[in-house]
Amino acid sequence: MKKVLLLTIFAALMMISSAAVAQTTASGTLTVTATVTGSINLVFNSDASGLALSSGAGTNAATLAFGNVSAFGAISAGIVRSTTATNFTVSSAVDVLVTKTNSASANYTLKAQLGSADAVNTWTVGGVAVTNAAQSTLTATGTYAANSNFPVAITVPFTTASGTLISNTINYVATAN
Amino acid sequence: MLKKYISIMRGAALAALMLLCGASLPAQTTASGVINGSLNNTTGISIQFDSDPAGVTLGAAGTNAATANFGTVSAFGPLAAGVTRPSVTAANFTVRTIFDVQVIQGGLNSTTYTLTANLAAAAPTGMSYKVDAITLTTALQTIQVNGAYGTDIAHNLDLVILTAAPGAGGPAVNTPITTTINFTATAN
Repeated sequence: MKKVLLLTIFAALMMISSAAVAQTTASGTLTVTATVTGSINLVFNSDASGLALSSGAGTNAATLAFGNVSAFGAISAGIVRSTTATNFTVSSAVDVLVTKTNSASANYTLKAQLGSADAVNTWTVGGVAVTNAAQSTLTATGTYAANSNFPVAITVPFTTASGTLISNTINYVATAN
Repeated sequence: MLKKYISIMRGAALAALMLLCGASLPAQTTASGVINGSLNNTTGISIQFDSDPAGVTLGAAGTNAATANFGTVSAFGPLAAGVTRPSVTAANFTVRTIFDVQVIQGGLNSTTYTLTANLAAAAPTGMSYKVDAITLTTALQTIQVNGAYGTDIAHNLDLVILTAAPGAGGPAVNTPITTTINFTATAN
């Protein structure tokens, strides 16, 4: 009889103990889902041999300001000038950096296009003429994760009036191959 | 003598019966009763996940088995509403959403709770998961030690994704990657 009583008390204590544990915790699950896709990114960097980008270095919206240029006068460091009988060309090195993530792409194609027409001056990027009519391919085998110099050049006729502001936007598009 | 006694008793019984009838008439307009009720007031706490205004909308919000879908994520591409990208490095990028945890208690003297979490299984290749900057593993990690009851508490959920290509240490691409995180709230 005494053993039965002890067992009963023990069992009751066990039940109380287990109930106490269960009552002071709560659990839940959060199921998390994401779909990863590959992507590439393009930024402009100042090239050591060219003009420093006026703004936006390290981003995909930079500004390159040549300042005052002329066929024969003083020229800023970082600008390369050449002159012919009818015009002169100023050029500055500009680095393009394309990086890839989560992609097995081996290289990229880089194209450029002027934002608006320029019937007077001639624009080239990396030695390739660019207009607003269509995209021009600068390279079909760009190397990822490396600054690649694609000099921006403007050819200005001698007939251009002094003090004329020349401005345009060059749109670049890198596509993973 | 006996007849007289019987007659008196009959009269007394009749009078008593009439009194009882008379007494029962007023009792018909009132009634009373007693119910002996009992309950076992068991203590306990519960946990639920709620959508945070700054995060993605949870599936099955308000329950203890919710889902959080980041949608399509990449290092540079667009992200779904409620998803941000706090960092991008050469090695990895992080996407973040915010979710709320609400723990309710009843019958306890406890004023706060401890929240722990762990991954239900090892993280998929190229992925790691953080809650409030604590990297989760399959072992329990303490997320919060002084959670307040009865209110939504926001937590950051970060996915740190390697930028390497699939097969080179990076995660699988263009396919949903699903992981379950277990949370436990314990009354302090």
